[in-house]
Amino acid sequence: MNISVKEWFKSGSPWVWMNAGAVAVSMIMVVGLLGLIAVRGLSHFWPADIVQGSYTQGGEQRVMVGEMVESAEVLTKQLIEAGIDLPETSEYSTRHLMKIGNRDVNGTDFTWALEYYFKDQIRPEMLFAAERHEWGNFYGYLRSIKEAGQEVGRYDGYDKSDAYLALWAELDKRIERVLDIHDDILDIEKGEIGSINYELERLRLKERGLQLDNVTDQRPYDEINQRRKELDEQYEGLQERLLDLYTQINRDSLTAEVSTGEVVEIQLSKIVRAFRPNDMGVGQKILHYFAKLWEFVSDDPREANTEGGIFPAIFGTVMMVILMSILVTPFGVIAAVYLREYAKQGFITRLIRIAVNNLAGVPSIVYGVFGLGFFVYFLGGNIDDLFFPEAKPSPTFGTPGLMWASLTLALLTVPVVIVATEEGLSRIPRAVREGSLALGATKFETLIKVVLPMASPAMMTGVILAIARAAGEVAPLMLVGVVKLAPSLPLDGNYPFIHLDQKFMHLGFHIYDVGFQSPNVEAARPLVYATALLLVAVIALLNLSAIAIRNHLREKYKALEM
Amino acid sequence: MTMEAKTHAIDISAMQRQNQTLRLEDETIALTVRDLELFYGEKRALHGVNMDIPKNRVTAFIGPSGCGKSTLLRCFNRMNDLVDSCSINGQINLYGDNIYERGIDVADLRRRVGMVFQKPNPFPKSIYENVAYGLRIQGITKKRVIDETVEWALKSAALWDEVKDRLHESALGMSGGQQQRLVIARTIAVKPEVLLLDEPASALDPISTLKIEELIHELKKDFTIVIVTHNMQQAARVSDYTAFMYMGDLIEFGVTDTLFTNPEKKQTEDYITGRYG
Repeated sequence: MNISVKEWFKSGSPWVWMNAGAVAVSMIMVVGLLGLIAVRGLSHFWPADIVQGSYTQGGEQRVMVGEMVESAEVLTKQLIEAGIDLPETSEYSTRHLMKIGNRDVNGTDFTWALEYYFKDQIRPEMLFAAERHEWGNFYGYLRSIKEAGQEVGRYDGYDKSDAYLALWAELDKRIERVLDIHDDILDIEKGEIGSINYELERLRLKERGLQLDNVTDQRPYDEINQRRKELDEQYEGLQERLLDLYTQINRDSLTAEVSTGEVVEIQLSKIVRAFRPNDMGVGQKILHYFAKLWEFVSDDPREANTEGGIFPAIFGTVMMVILMSILVTPFGVIAAVYLREYAKQGFITRLIRIAVNNLAGVPSIVYGVFGLGFFVYFLGGNIDDLFFPEAKPSPTFGTPGLMWASLTLALLTVPVVIVATEEGLSRIPRAVREGSLALGATKFETLIKVVLPMASPAMMTGVILAIARAAGEVAPLMLVGVVKLAPSLPLDGNYPFIHLDQKFMHLGFHIYDVGFQSPNVEAARPLVYATALLLVAVIALLNLSAIAIRNHLREKYKALEM
Repeated sequence: MTMEAKTHAIDISAMQRQNQTLRLEDETIALTVRDLELFYGEKRALHGVNMDIPKNRVTAFIGPSGCGKSTLLRCFNRMNDLVDSCSINGQINLYGDNIYERGIDVADLRRRVGMVFQKPNPFPKSIYENVAYGLRIQGITKKRVIDETVEWALKSAALWDEVKDRLHESALGMSGGQQQRLVIARTIAVKPEVLLLDEPASALDPISTLKIEELIHELKKDFTIVIVTHNMQQAARVSDYTAFMYMGDLIEFGVTDTLFTNPEKKQTEDYITGRYG
């Protein structure tokens, strides 16, 4: 290569290299980001081995049992300065974050352990982990199983013997039974009793409405009371069944020995699943992993959102984005059609265009404040006064909810749709419009039958951009409808099926809540990554489906390339 | 001109001979233009044009670029209304009714005076839907009526045999010449009284041009045709009457053969002999 630097610059290859470098750096950053949250988030569901060892620090010896969550190299000098007695033989010491669980016994879930003090590490096969509805994970050795207070099986050793395995199998069976009952209870409480409560509330509102309208005729009241009596009877019946199920579910319990030697009794009804990770093969671990992953995307959260799944948040996010798209598309398209096709082009339209473009630059929290002030308090308050006076003083629409959150985001994204649609309208060839007009179509018919269908890919581009922006938005939602924990989904089997007035959960807010508002930060951290990954996946999926629709439309109306 | 078109030009001029006895005085007049002036903003594009366009004949407008022939053509179905800065004085009567009168239904006028443009502009719909478009606009919903009309229009536009097996495929997959004939079919499907053709063959190859010219010859039985063309041979081949325009003025208007063989005005002679334009 015998060319001078000057010639090399003139040839343009430095620029090509620079551009390629910039693209490569961007790619690496995106892949790295996704990789980081994927690794951090997805590894959480892997059933880690439980380590047991003796831990001697400050002359005090105890048995430590737990999962190694994280390991770090720390400067030995730093630890010594902190008052820990360590020999200065190596520059660095290894420190583990141990998930010791048993919050009810230990008072804390996590502890730091120095490798230097952590001796005789073993992974006993019979050591088991139990996920519970409350108090987090439990680690220990199974000692006995009790049925209605009576011991039905017992084993006192630590080795993997046939008798111990038989006891374990018995436990597995009983946990399965308890889980079935638990599902039944949930069905009755959330499903049937939920419906009855919902109908009772509607009856109450109906009665109140009649009173407010000064209806003196006794018949409608009688009907309401009649129906109420029926519902009360149904409720009594369900209550009895529920009581029965509760006695059944609380029948069994287990006792287990924890690391301190203490024996603890746990009701089986409190256990979600029990397993022995040290005794699991790779295949079993993979099965367990996917079961946990499935639980994560399909279940309700437990324990202040730090355990269980995030299904309501996924559902809320998707539902809100879809509602937002349904609201924003007609708004944006109609505005763009007026601006481009009907409005007289001049100073005013230019001013409006500038205003629309600037609207896209307003910080989203400002929209949140606007949504709260205008939609929730003003619009919602007036809707309540007009249509739901019977529910007063508790508000129906005069409180943050799905409807207002979707509307606020629609407002936030409407400039994008307007700009994209206008762009699309301006690209429709004049010849095609004239062709339609020359056949005796009016301007409106031309718009509806030819121009808008041809501009539909551009509209979809606008909607795609709107989705991309709205799905990741959190700040305004905190003001207009998102909550930490919603008791029910905004879509269910009770008339009118979609509850636009309800509050809902959202993945973005869930990340914030789990990561920064959680009582148990260490336990929640992997969930932050997993939720973030899921949020990215949900947005990608929403976008991809919109892009698929757009490509389909493009294929259909590719006349623009004429 | 390529070889094919030239050989064919001789064929058509044979058909043309029957027109030699044409006289404007004997014709029924479809469109009358009286003192038509047109302004684009301050600029005057037409300077008081007067003209009678006979029924069931082909009238060609020739002249150099920018002479106003397309502008005049677009006055006949008020396409110029779409241009914001455009204003018009004078009259155009379609069978006696002034089309620029207040309260005239422009959409209805455009149905009566159809137009085919320079570039084929089919809609991004199927062949069938393209032809049916004008009918649907008129509110015709009976499938049988639409089917029959589509077939008739495609046959009239000499396209039926080529497309009858793929009526429901996209019109955008056709060749340029087919597309232009489709546009003609689409226009005649609404049965207009006058057919305006704005350089209909200028974007096409010689064979397609030939087909369009034959088609024009066929269509004049049913329609009054006004064609704008840059190509003087084409005007000579297809038209019965020719108008020569220059700089917004109508210089000469008469029977095509007379105008080409024995023009009255010097300007016309200069143009058709190729001295300018």
